[in-house]
Amino acid sequence: MQASTNRLVVGGKPLRSRLFLGTGRYPSPTVMRQALDASGAHVITFAIRRVNLDGVEDDSVLRHLADRDLVFLPNTSGAADAEEAVRIARLAREAGLGDWIKVEISAHPRSLMPDPLETLRATERLVAEGFVALPYTSDDPMLCKRLEEAGAAAVMPGGSPIGTGLGLLNPYNLGWIAEEAKVPVIIDAGLGSAADAAQAMELGADGILVNTPVARARDPVAMARAMMLAIEAGRLSRLAGRIPRKRYATASSAPEGRLFAAPDAAAGGRHAGAVEGGGR
Amino acid sequence: MRTIHECKLYVVSGENYHPDRGLLEVMEAAIRGGADIVQLRDKASPKRELLRKARAMRELTRRLGTLFIVNDHPDIALAAEADGVHLGQDDLPVASARQMLGPDRLIGVSTHALPQAIAAERAGADYIGAGPVYPTGTKPDRPAATLSYISEAARAVRIPFFAIGGIHPGNAEDVLAAGASRLCAVSAVVGSPDPEEACRRLRGYIDRRQASRPPSPSAAARARLTVNGRAVETPAATLLELAAEYRLADRRVVAERNGEVVPRASWPDVPVREGDRIEFVHFVGGG
Repeated sequence: MQASTNRLVVGGKPLRSRLFLGTGRYPSPTVMRQALDASGAHVITFAIRRVNLDGVEDDSVLRHLADRDLVFLPNTSGAADAEEAVRIARLAREAGLGDWIKVEISAHPRSLMPDPLETLRATERLVAEGFVALPYTSDDPMLCKRLEEAGAAAVMPGGSPIGTGLGLLNPYNLGWIAEEAKVPVIIDAGLGSAADAAQAMELGADGILVNTPVARARDPVAMARAMMLAIEAGRLSRLAGRIPRKRYATASSAPEGRLFAAPDAAAGGRHAGAVEGGGR
Repeated sequence: MRTIHECKLYVVSGENYHPDRGLLEVMEAAIRGGADIVQLRDKASPKRELLRKARAMRELTRRLGTLFIVNDHPDIALAAEADGVHLGQDDLPVASARQMLGPDRLIGVSTHALPQAIAAERAGADYIGAGPVYPTGTKPDRPAATLSYISEAARAVRIPFFAIGGIHPGNAEDVLAAGASRLCAVSAVVGSPDPEEACRRLRGYIDRRQASRPPSPSAAARARLTVNGRAVETPAATLLELAAEYRLADRRVVAERNGEVVPRASWPDVPVREGDRIEFVHFVGGG
């Protein structure tokens, strides 16, 4: 986790928001725009795909976002290895919308788990070509360290597989990653609701990236706002410092001045009240 | 009544080129020489004067059986019952002019590069002017688009296009050889001491070229490529022409040829050859 500056800075760019929003799978472009507004997101993600040669309509997602001040983070989804990811990144850069790239190399069709070796290779090559590389990675602290050393502008470990909504499956690892990282940590993938976003921030993440939990929520616009609030709440909570977990209860109300005598701890509380309280 | 597809020689008025002769006299000579579509272009006159000229031109063209187009002003075109209006890149968009003129009147658009041509075609223009092919006194500030634009347009534009800009009997054959089948002239006709003869000569080149041209591009000139994973055959010679074939020339798309990104600025220069693998991609929603 970065020091407690108020602004997240990635690749030298100060960002207005710690929420990175995906642009896929919304019910309509209008809902996407409204969700984007509600989320306050500054960084938005895209995919690169072939143009439909038979369609005459301009279906580029950018058409709906042309009027906004945003940082564009195209992903390399669809790449199976470093080579393909680099090709997609070069195509994305040629679009003239910046040199950020989310390295996403998912080789397994059912888990969409990122391939760690290819992700590291692609990150090295993209950094060498001057990209601001943000690799989506598994929640492995050592791998995140290697990606950081390779020049990643941020590391983006997944909470759980993409689109599952299973939340943070390994908070222990994610906490480690946040503690060790010298670059921003963006928890990407698998979040299900605002609670997961808050938890990610409490673990020490610098931001989160969500798409499906917003786009496929019953009310995407409301969920976008919930995510924004959860990030703020989670981050404040982290900075405020949570209390340690304890085995036994500690009364919130001070014992001094209580009307009746405290139960006897040795008696385990059972019947103590009856003895002391005198009942009949 | 003639259709735009039948028209081959377009003459645009320019009264400053013939101060000693009347508009109607010169335009009539042009039509008698073979112009089959004429345009009233007059940036100086007030509208009332323009309407008077437009009505007179309508009279003349109706009598001689040619199409009549008014430059810039849909309202004048309607009031004078012209066949259509011609728009520059900074004039009304085609869609707005179409709203005013209805489906049957012609809308032409001046274009200076292939993306503009494709955009005009997609917007519903009936024909385009393509140029200036050569530097011209009519548009002194505009750099020439050159013959390469004519070749591109010939491959990629489906609506009729008229090559325009500095065309005269001395260079018409070059323009036709580059792929034009229709010409448009201003000063070479209306500034000539004999507009009828100037048109006759231009018309002669057009008709001879037409007669000698093979009916369709030969199959040998078509390359077999893979575009976005699909096997295709194309007459396109460059990446820009290929993009235009798929109506992508003016869209925010990125191209890759055989695994290498091709910057958009080089699309006109990068050839497409037999066996090439081309990708056209764009941004879509994603996480």
